[in-house]
Amino acid sequence: MPEALEATTKDATAPESVPAAPPAEKDARARSLWSDAWHDLRRNPLFLVSAVLIVVLLAMAVAPWLFTSADPRHADLAKHYLQKPNWSHFFAEDWFGYDIQGRSIYARVIYGARASIAVAVGVTALVTILGTLVGMLAGYFGGLLDTILSRITDVFFGVPFILGAMVVLTSFEERKLWVVILSLAFLGWTQIARVARGSVITIKQADYVVAAKALGASTSRILLRHILPNAMAPVIVVATIALGGYISAEATLSFLGIGLAEPTVSWGVDISSGQEQLRNAAFVLIIPSVMVSITVLAFIMLGDAVRNALDPKLR
Amino acid sequence: MRGATHAKWAAGAAAVALVATACGGGAGSGGADGILSSSWGDPQNPIEPANTNEVQGGKVLDMIFRGLKRYDPKTGEAKDMVAERIETTDSRNFTITLKPGWTFSNGEPVTAKSFTDAWNYGAHVGNKQANAPFFSDIVGYDDVHPASGNPRAKTMRGLVVKNDRTFTVALKDTFSSWPETLGYQAFVPLPRVFFTDHDAWLNKPIGNGPYTVESYAKGSGMKLRRWDGYKGDDKAKNGGVDLTVYTDNNTAYTDLMAGNLDLVDDVPAQQLKNVRNDLGDRYVNQPALIIQTLVFPMYRPEWSKPGMEKVRRGLSMAINRKEITQQIFQRTRTPTKDWTSPALGRDGGYEDMCGDACAYNPAQAKKLIQEGGGLPGGKLTLTSNVDTGSHRAWMDAVCNSVNNALGRGAVCTVNPVGTFADFRNQQTAFRLTGPFRSGWQADYPLIQNFLEPLYYTGGSSNYGKFSDKRFDALVDKANRETDRAAAVKDFQAAERILAAQMPAIPLWYQNGSAGWSDRLSDVTLNQFSVPVYDQIKVS
Repeated sequence: MPEALEATTKDATAPESVPAAPPAEKDARARSLWSDAWHDLRRNPLFLVSAVLIVVLLAMAVAPWLFTSADPRHADLAKHYLQKPNWSHFFAEDWFGYDIQGRSIYARVIYGARASIAVAVGVTALVTILGTLVGMLAGYFGGLLDTILSRITDVFFGVPFILGAMVVLTSFEERKLWVVILSLAFLGWTQIARVARGSVITIKQADYVVAAKALGASTSRILLRHILPNAMAPVIVVATIALGGYISAEATLSFLGIGLAEPTVSWGVDISSGQEQLRNAAFVLIIPSVMVSITVLAFIMLGDAVRNALDPKLR
Repeated sequence: MRGATHAKWAAGAAAVALVATACGGGAGSGGADGILSSSWGDPQNPIEPANTNEVQGGKVLDMIFRGLKRYDPKTGEAKDMVAERIETTDSRNFTITLKPGWTFSNGEPVTAKSFTDAWNYGAHVGNKQANAPFFSDIVGYDDVHPASGNPRAKTMRGLVVKNDRTFTVALKDTFSSWPETLGYQAFVPLPRVFFTDHDAWLNKPIGNGPYTVESYAKGSGMKLRRWDGYKGDDKAKNGGVDLTVYTDNNTAYTDLMAGNLDLVDDVPAQQLKNVRNDLGDRYVNQPALIIQTLVFPMYRPEWSKPGMEKVRRGLSMAINRKEITQQIFQRTRTPTKDWTSPALGRDGGYEDMCGDACAYNPAQAKKLIQEGGGLPGGKLTLTSNVDTGSHRAWMDAVCNSVNNALGRGAVCTVNPVGTFADFRNQQTAFRLTGPFRSGWQADYPLIQNFLEPLYYTGGSSNYGKFSDKRFDALVDKANRETDRAAAVKDFQAAERILAAQMPAIPLWYQNGSAGWSDRLSDVTLNQFSVPVYDQIKVS
C-alpha cells in the first residue's frame, strides 16, 4: 500500500494546487485567467469550506494514525459486538460504537478515507491524463485521427458507467485498490476527452498558436507550451466535479460486493455490511454513509467553486 | 457408499428474490387449496435424483418423489413407503415387493422396472451421476462403473426383476442396515419418459410424490402443485408450493415481514435478535442433524504435506467458537466437540472427540502453526457461498479470531462466493486452494452418515479428497458389524483419526430454523431441518 499512499498524496494535492500554480507562470499580463480565478476563489466561502474539509480528509487518508490510535481491523466480538456509540467520547475508540465483528467504527471511518480518496484521486488523475491526451490529439490533428479517436470515445461513452465497471470488475479474482482504480479510469475518461477536444479545437485557431506556427515552432512545443496550458481550464472543472462522483462510484461498487473487499478498509464495504444491521444498530450503516456524503459534497462544492472562478460567463 | 449415505449439503436455505412473484402465496384462496410461497436457493444441478446431493434440489425431490422407504419427518425412522416388504435371510440378498396401485403423475404405473432402470441409470459411469457411489454395494456395480476404463455392462447383475411388483437385489457383502438407506432420494423410481425424452423431463420433472411440478424457471423459482392422484397416505394438505429463489436470506426475511413470502427456512443471523418479536410463535428453532465444518483441500500438497496436521489443528484452536456462536448466531449454533451431531445421542456415537483441538487457545494455536511450518504462503483464505446461512458474518468472525490469535495482521481473508450453486461447482471441481465451508446435513441419524461420505477415500462428498488407509479400514470394519454398538465403536475409532489429522475443522452444530406468515399453520421441520411441506395448512 505504500505506493498507493504516495500516489494519493501527490495526486491529491494536484487539483488544488493547479489553480494556484499557474499564476506563477510568467505571463506578461497582470492578471491571467488563473490568477483571476485564484483571486475569486480565495473570497468564495464555498471554496473555503470545501477546502478545509478536503484538507482534513486528505490528512485522514495520509496519516490516519493522527486521528485515532485504534486498529480498524482489531475485532473483539465478546466485548464490543454492536456496542452503541458513546457520543460524548470525542475521538475515542468507542465514539461511534462498534460493528457486528466488534471493530471500532470510528477507527474504520478514519482508515476508510484512504481507500475512497485514493480511488477518487487515482481515477481522476488517470482519466485527466488519458482524456486530455486523446482529446488534444484528436482536436489538434483532426482528420482521420480525430475520426478514429472520437469514435473510440463514443464507444466507451456509450457504456453505462456502473454497469461497465461491474462487468470489468467481476472478471478480476482479487480486487485490489489499483484494480478498482484502473477499471473506473478505463471507463471514465471519455467525458474529459470530449471536453479537451472541443477546447483544443477552439484554441488552435487562436492568434498566438498561428503565430507560433508561423515562427516555425515544433508541433510538440505548440502542443505543450501553447495548447495544453490554455485548454486545461474546462478539463480541470470537469475533473474536479467528477472526483466526487468516483467516491460514490467506489462506495456503490463496494456495496454491491464487487468493488474493494476486505481486508481493505473502505466506507463502501462497511456500508454494505452495515445495511444488514439496519434494524438493530442503524449507526453501523449511517456513520460510514455520512462520511461518504460529506466527502462527495466537499469535492462537488470544490468543483463548483472552481468552475465559477474559471468561467466568469456563468456568473 | 459403502454404506449408505445420503447426504446433502446444507445450504441453510435461501434468500434475494429475483422476483417476488407469488405475493403472499398465490391465488389467495385458503383452505386445502391454498398455495404457499417459500424461500429457495437455486439447485446446483438439474433435478435428477441420482445427481442431486445438495439440500436445495433435495427439497424438491422430497416433494415430487417417494421411494421404497421414507424417513418419518418426526422420528427419522425409515418406514416402508412404496415398498410393501423388503425381505432377506442373509442381509445380503434382498427381495423387494412393491405396494400395488402406485403410479407416476403421468399415469404410468410404478413397477419393479421403474426402480431397477433408475438405479442402473444412476450407477452407470456414462451418466456422470454424483450419487453413483450409493449403488456401489450392489453386485455388478464395478462393471457399469469401473474405477477406470470403459464400462463392461449396461446394467448391474445384482438387480433382477421377478415380476411387475417384485425384484431382487444382491449385495457384494453383508450389509444389515442397507434397507434403511433406501429412503435416500438416489433410490427413487423413474418413469419411462425420463429415459425416452430426457430434456422434457428435466424441464418439468415427473415423479410419484404428493406434488407435481407445474413450472420451473432456473434461477428464479419453481411452482409445485398438489397431485390429487397421489397414492401415498401423506397427501399434501395445501394446494401447492411456490419456491422462490433468493440470493440473500435477509431479503427473504424482509419479504416474509412484508407479507410477500409465507415461509423462510433460514432465518438470517442479523434478524435473530428480532425474530421472537417479529413472529412470536410463528418461528421454530430446533436441533438438527447439521454440522458446519471448514474442509482443507487435501488435494493441495501445501495443505496435506507431513507436518501440516499441526497447522490444521492450530487453526482449529485459533477459532473462538463460543464467542462466535453466542454473538453472531445468538446461540442458535452450538460449538462442536466432534464430527457428528449431538442429535445422534451418546448411543448413536456422539462424543467429545475433538477435545483440546476444538477449544480456543490462541497461544497453543500460534505455537502449533509455527511448529508445522506456518500457513502456506503465510496466508489463509476461507471460501463459502454467502447467499444463505449468514456465512459472510461468521467467516469474517473466524478470520478475525485467527488474525487476533496469530497477531500478524490480516493473514486470514474471506472469499465470498455469490451463489450456492457457483460455490458447489468450485467445490466439486476441486478448484479451491484454501479451506472452504462444508455444511453437512445428514439424512438419517447414523454416525456412518457423518463420516463415510465425507472422509472415506473416494467418498461421494469427500470434497477435500482426504484419504487415510486406517480410516477406510475402520469404516469397512464398522459396516460389516452386525451389532450396532460394535459398529458405533468402530466408527468412533475412525473418528479419532480425524481428530489427529484434522482434515476438516468442525465449527458448530446448526439448528434448523424457520419463520412463517400468519396464513400458515402446522409448519414443522424434519430432522434434516427441511420444512415438511405436505403437512402445512394454508388458511
